[in-house]
Amino acid sequence: MTQLLTIDRISKSYDGVLALNRVSLAVCSGIIKGLIGPNGAGKTTLFHLISGLESPTAGQISFGGVDITGKAPHEIAALGVGRTFQTIQTLGTMTVVENILAGMHTRVPGNFLSSGLWLPWIHTGERAALEEAKQILEFLGLLGRWKWSAMQLSFGQQKMLELGRAIAMRPRLLLLDEPAAGLTPVEVNKLSERVCQLRGQGTTIMVVEHHQGMVMEIADEVAVLHNGELIADDTPAAVKKDPRVLEAYLGRAGG
Amino acid sequence: MTPWIHIPPLLVTGITMGAIYALVALGFVTIVRASQIINFAQGEFVMLGGVLTFFFISGAGFPYPIAVLLAVILVTIIGLLLHLLVIYPLRKASALILIMATLGASICISNTSALFFGTLPKALPPFSGNLAFQLSGVAIASQGLWVLGATFSLLLALHLLSHRTLVGKAMEASSTDPLGADLAGISRNFMVFFAFGVSAAMGSIAGVLVTPLFYTSYNSGTLLGLKGFIAAVLGGWGKNNGAILGGFALGIVESLSVAFIPAGYKDGVAFVVLLLILYFRPKGILGSPFIDSRRW
Amino acid sequence: MISLILPDPHLPYRREFLKKRDFVYLGVLVLLPVIWPGSLFLMGLAGIYAIVALGLSLFLGYAGQISLGHAAFFGIGAYTSAILTTRYGIPTVGAFFASAATAAACAYLIGKPILKLKGYFLALATLGFGEIFLVIVREARDLTGGVSGIFGVPWFSVAGFAFDTSLKQYCLIWGVLIGLVLFAKNLVRSKMGRALLAVAASEDAAASVGIDVARIKLGVFVISAAFAGLAGSLFAGVISTASPDAFGLGLSVLMVMMVIMGGMGTLYGPISAAIFLTWLTDSLGAYQEYSLPIFGVIFILLLIFFPDGIATRLNTRLIYLISYWGRKRRRERINQ
Repeated sequence: MTQLLTIDRISKSYDGVLALNRVSLAVCSGIIKGLIGPNGAGKTTLFHLISGLESPTAGQISFGGVDITGKAPHEIAALGVGRTFQTIQTLGTMTVVENILAGMHTRVPGNFLSSGLWLPWIHTGERAALEEAKQILEFLGLLGRWKWSAMQLSFGQQKMLELGRAIAMRPRLLLLDEPAAGLTPVEVNKLSERVCQLRGQGTTIMVVEHHQGMVMEIADEVAVLHNGELIADDTPAAVKKDPRVLEAYLGRAGG
Repeated sequence: MTPWIHIPPLLVTGITMGAIYALVALGFVTIVRASQIINFAQGEFVMLGGVLTFFFISGAGFPYPIAVLLAVILVTIIGLLLHLLVIYPLRKASALILIMATLGASICISNTSALFFGTLPKALPPFSGNLAFQLSGVAIASQGLWVLGATFSLLLALHLLSHRTLVGKAMEASSTDPLGADLAGISRNFMVFFAFGVSAAMGSIAGVLVTPLFYTSYNSGTLLGLKGFIAAVLGGWGKNNGAILGGFALGIVESLSVAFIPAGYKDGVAFVVLLLILYFRPKGILGSPFIDSRRW
Repeated sequence: MISLILPDPHLPYRREFLKKRDFVYLGVLVLLPVIWPGSLFLMGLAGIYAIVALGLSLFLGYAGQISLGHAAFFGIGAYTSAILTTRYGIPTVGAFFASAATAAACAYLIGKPILKLKGYFLALATLGFGEIFLVIVREARDLTGGVSGIFGVPWFSVAGFAFDTSLKQYCLIWGVLIGLVLFAKNLVRSKMGRALLAVAASEDAAASVGIDVARIKLGVFVISAAFAGLAGSLFAGVISTASPDAFGLGLSVLMVMMVIMGGMGTLYGPISAAIFLTWLTDSLGAYQEYSLPIFGVIFILLLIFFPDGIATRLNTRLIYLISYWGRKRRRERINQ
């Protein structure tokens, strides 16, 4: 089992407030790692640090053997890290298919000059990209609406679209930030199915979720954050019984 | 031949202009604190203050003090109208649209002024005649003292307004926590309306103060407004203290620069200052409650 | 470049390349002066402004960044051409490309620091740049002729063929415009176009898919400046002068209005708006002193009633009317 992502004693403080305190964890390739914890525990902050939107105050993160601490988000994305956002950031002014195509930015050829002149390889690149985008839309069940404006999709469909945009990168590591939030039970099931399919195709996935059912069901390992500290990192079954986890979620209990 | 001997008179000019910039900057900040809108027409209030006073004296024959009073009242009304006719209809529009609308208003006002009052620069007599004082060899026009005196009085008045009157406190509340103020029954729209009135009044007073020292013509408003904005950013965007500090700082820097570079470039100094500040410290000298460094 | 001519039905919906309506639209515009010869000069001028609006639409309409200083790039282009042709005898074609290069270089230098800013502050910084340009032009009299400007800029000419009549200039200007439209259309339907829209929609999301937001913003800023520089060069060649009054804040504001009124996120919209606003400025000019205040009022009214652009509002009204008519007919048929 190779370690794809290594987080080494990461700390992050905002103006004196310590959001993450010397968190260390590792994600092996090919698994689904759940990241749970009460609100404010630092889960999204950790995602921001991995994806590069923030820089850690201390500590190191390495991905696939490369030190990515403090790198810019687009550089980290180019290395193979894709993500979705807690407050969805669908590109509403663009069409559904364009959202997916946007995700393929690093894999489609072209710069300003060559695109403006529509040189031959741009043309072939665009055709291939469109084909692939349609396949991704089919995987997500959105193919029928490929020409729609992204704003016109329902909330659940927009979440799928954002997932599609991240998948379009063909990332090695996929960070999903509360993908199930606001979804109906049917949609949650479909989401779980698709995430497992992605694992089957070789993508490593980290999921921040509050939806305990979904996380415990699909995750191979679960890490638990509380008040910026890692309090458990084990199989779902073990985590469910961990007394510190129970205390964090339920408060001081009998035992 | 060093330029240093020119410093003291330049300093005097700088402080005087600095007070004017401070007043204009305060006008911007007042509106921004109520509404996050940047009123690009702010400079026009200054211009109108001077031009209308001139008109009331020479065109309508009113005595000086009455003319000033009428001008300030009229400009305040214009400021309120600006809110009602332009800002309020666009209250839900994007920042870009609002910028464009206030710029449009600025074009409209300055050119209407040219239409009614002509394009020739207007001058006003200094408040206490051509009296001048000597301070260690430097001549200080009495008008300069009026400017400083009036500026500080206005600052005091503004402070009292914000902290002692109910309306003022409501404005403070509205700018600190719009949602909370709204829930407490403070109408956001009325606060903005009021802010426009206060800004217009301050701007027009600044115009009356500055016209005896430098001419005012229909197009002086634009540049003055921009410099006031730059002063507000320089001192610390969104803070009254910042506006004042920035105003004086800009006035002094701009004035002193004439000793070192050709005079024609003087107007460009403010913009160079702007670019430098936006690049190195967008929060401004005193820092800003509105700008989050990380996200910028 | 064969795909330039043959429409490709397989490309994403909104951004298909040349369709019938492109030919119709451009055809009508290009042939308008044939029907109405008096409009030749004005349409030429409109074409020049349309080039700037086209470039600005990429920066503002697609990438969502505000610039209130584009008149400066236009002016840089005009002055570069004027100076190179009158002082150094460089042929107009060379000056043409030099103008684009100079404007692009200035945009590159100024863009690197400025584009970190957003919203109001970017608007202000670009405005500041525009004003600095004017101050420099007015002061550096030896180079730029100061407040009076440079006279006697020669007609644009290529290998001895001089564009000295309004008709020839019109063809030149619209030829350049159409070439740039094709370039822009290609850009917009490629991944770069999507990158621009993504940056406008959500910089975080764009960065998360590998888009280097800073580079994209700088790139589109430079391209839009290059367009403005080319237009400036043509302007100097048509009006034969370059003077500071033509390149002030008023023009920058007018350009932004062209993009907003034309419709953000479209290419033809700003071109149409450029023609409309050029024509409007010209007809209002007849009223002399009243023109500018009226202009200001029109601006404000347009912004209040057509915030998404005139075409969008008219489009939706048209669609509503058509659908209403369709529903009415259906109701009549049912009632029979």
